[in-house]
Amino acid sequence: MTQEAIAGFQPRRPARFNFQQSESILGYLMVSPLVICILLLVVYPFIFAIQISFTDRVVGSDGQFIGFTNYINLTKKPDFQASIRNTIVMVTAIQTIKLGLGLGLATLLNQQIRGRQFWRGLILLPWAMPAFVAFITWKLLYAPQGGAFNYILINLGLVTTHVDFLSTKELAMPSVIVASVWRGFPFWVISFLAAMQSVPRELYESAALDGANAWKRFLNVTLPGIRHVVLVVSLISTIQTTNSFEAVWLLTGGGPSNATMTFPVLAYYGLQSLRIGEASAVSVSLLPVFAVLALIVAVRLQKDD
Amino acid sequence: MNKSRVFKILPLLTVLLAGVMSFAPALAQDNTLVFWGGLIFSESANNALVARAQQWGEENGVAVEVVMINQNETVQTVSAAIEAGTMPDVVDLGRDFMLLLSNQEQLVALNDLYAEIGEAHGGWLESANSLVTSDDFGGNVYGIPYATNGNVLFRRNDLLEPAGFPDAPETWEQLGEMARAINDPPNVYSMSFALSNVGDGNLTTTMLQSWGGRIANDEGTDCTIDSEETRAFLTWITTAYADGLFPPGATTWDGAGDNTAYQSGQAGFIANPGSVRNYLVENDPELADATLYSALPAGPAMRISPVSTVVRSIPATSQKQEWAAELIKYLADDDFTAEYYSTAIYGPALQNHVEAPIFSESAVHAGLLDLALNGTPGAFPDVTNAAFAEYQTNFLTPRMVQRIVVDGLSIDDAVAETQAACQDIYDKYK
Repeated sequence: MTQEAIAGFQPRRPARFNFQQSESILGYLMVSPLVICILLLVVYPFIFAIQISFTDRVVGSDGQFIGFTNYINLTKKPDFQASIRNTIVMVTAIQTIKLGLGLGLATLLNQQIRGRQFWRGLILLPWAMPAFVAFITWKLLYAPQGGAFNYILINLGLVTTHVDFLSTKELAMPSVIVASVWRGFPFWVISFLAAMQSVPRELYESAALDGANAWKRFLNVTLPGIRHVVLVVSLISTIQTTNSFEAVWLLTGGGPSNATMTFPVLAYYGLQSLRIGEASAVSVSLLPVFAVLALIVAVRLQKDD
Repeated sequence: MNKSRVFKILPLLTVLLAGVMSFAPALAQDNTLVFWGGLIFSESANNALVARAQQWGEENGVAVEVVMINQNETVQTVSAAIEAGTMPDVVDLGRDFMLLLSNQEQLVALNDLYAEIGEAHGGWLESANSLVTSDDFGGNVYGIPYATNGNVLFRRNDLLEPAGFPDAPETWEQLGEMARAINDPPNVYSMSFALSNVGDGNLTTTMLQSWGGRIANDEGTDCTIDSEETRAFLTWITTAYADGLFPPGATTWDGAGDNTAYQSGQAGFIANPGSVRNYLVENDPELADATLYSALPAGPAMRISPVSTVVRSIPATSQKQEWAAELIKYLADDDFTAEYYSTAIYGPALQNHVEAPIFSESAVHAGLLDLALNGTPGAFPDVTNAAFAEYQTNFLTPRMVQRIVVDGLSIDDAVAETQAACQDIYDKYK
């Protein structure tokens, strides 16, 4: 090395960031688009909805802050009272049936039955079908004039006149529940099935050696093994069902009268008259319920981690 | 890649992306006029409208983007667009929705354009004129009518004539008698009128008014549903329901419920704007021949045949208002409109369009012309205002009927409940 070269050598300036810090910054940069998307698409609309529920905002105007007036007015409305009642009934019934059906079918499909792969694929069909198509099909099946169910019932001699499944107060809600269960149960079956397959086979063998019958094995081995999945699936599905709009809207539009009026449908009607402040209040009034459910899911998932 | 290079490139890419994103819409929309046309139950009419709008674009060197919006979804689509700031340059609207939007200062006043188009096409029909120039608009015109619409009564003459009823019913009560004579469930449910929460269900408001009932007082400020006339109407309609004249499902029908019932041959009477006739002519000529058309019957107090209008408006946010006005003028052309009406289900709004051949060739179009010339505009005898429009969009009259026939409420209780809900709406506008 020449003398000049040595003289021209500048000692390297200490790095502004060490390697770990640089890695962190790069990491933050990489996730920042996602964080921005979440802030814009999830957090902002969420806060915005809460904010406008306290205003008399109409589409196209900013509206004035009116405190809890929208909420107070809501509680006086028969529609709102009906939607609370109906939402509780609908969600409870749908979730209970889906739980039973999901556990039963998952257990069945977890056995060495003939054509197991075929049945597993078939069970996914309702879930894979677009909701719009599924519920319009159910509407046609329920139709009093020309509907398949009425055709079968009349031809079997079980009824003499058309059964009005969707427009009779007593039958409308059960009809919506049946269609919703049909559309949603595959998610439960597949989730439970996946969980069941992760339960160690040795546990079943040990239980069998100890003399446990199938029911006891299910109760003492399968259920404890999949309980986390059952809980998480139940909670997520409860949130989805409570927010579900297509089933009720496409089958009954919330009617007859208020027999199937639920929160999402009521909020949609609120938008018809452009009063988005009132419509937001309907949606936001469910927020405490969802917050509790979401918290339970989050804690559960954290524990699982 | 070296990390320092990544740090240099990332900000550059970000700036570049942001630049492209901010300029892209401007570049794409600079020469584009966006038109949200009203989608109706006639593919030919929809196609004709799209072609005509694009033809104007070609002649004027403007890219016209036509999006056909289902008229049942206009409120949701436009509301979302207003909030998102993505309104088009021209939009087809129903008259009541135009009223709500003009109250929110979302539309441009089109007084000169209205006068110019009227003058160029023989003048506006009084029905269309009164609907867009009422006091509610504060002396301005916010929408250019391109058609009038309303319900025509369809009846199954092949069933009614043998039963001794060759003529159209003069009154609703007479219609009830005729319906009882031909009712044959489950084959035919004679009174196939919607009682559900859809626009068709608001026919019950027309019935209520023809019984002498009123939604609000003469000033349009306070609700007056609670009346003996309302009770008389409710007694009539709920008796008909109890007698099985209404089809099962009428309380939850969607907007196509009456169409489907009539097209399947299982309805005696329906009130429809005319789309059913288009279907029958193409798919069931026998049933089309067996169908006769007339105006809605009178009630004990008066005959109400509501006529409304569909309009073209220019949103206040449009940056191309002059182009938009030119397009609206172009679409009002006499020859094009005659072609459009031949497959659409509308009556005329302009004097020149009365002469369109379809109004003398088709019975249902003749009914629509009659409605345009002699119908009762808007909310008559009630005041056509935003409160009445909100009453209708909340479907309070069909819901009042549902409370009785579905929930078993007494007529008095249903009336009291509806009166309270209605007053809440009118109070918002005081």
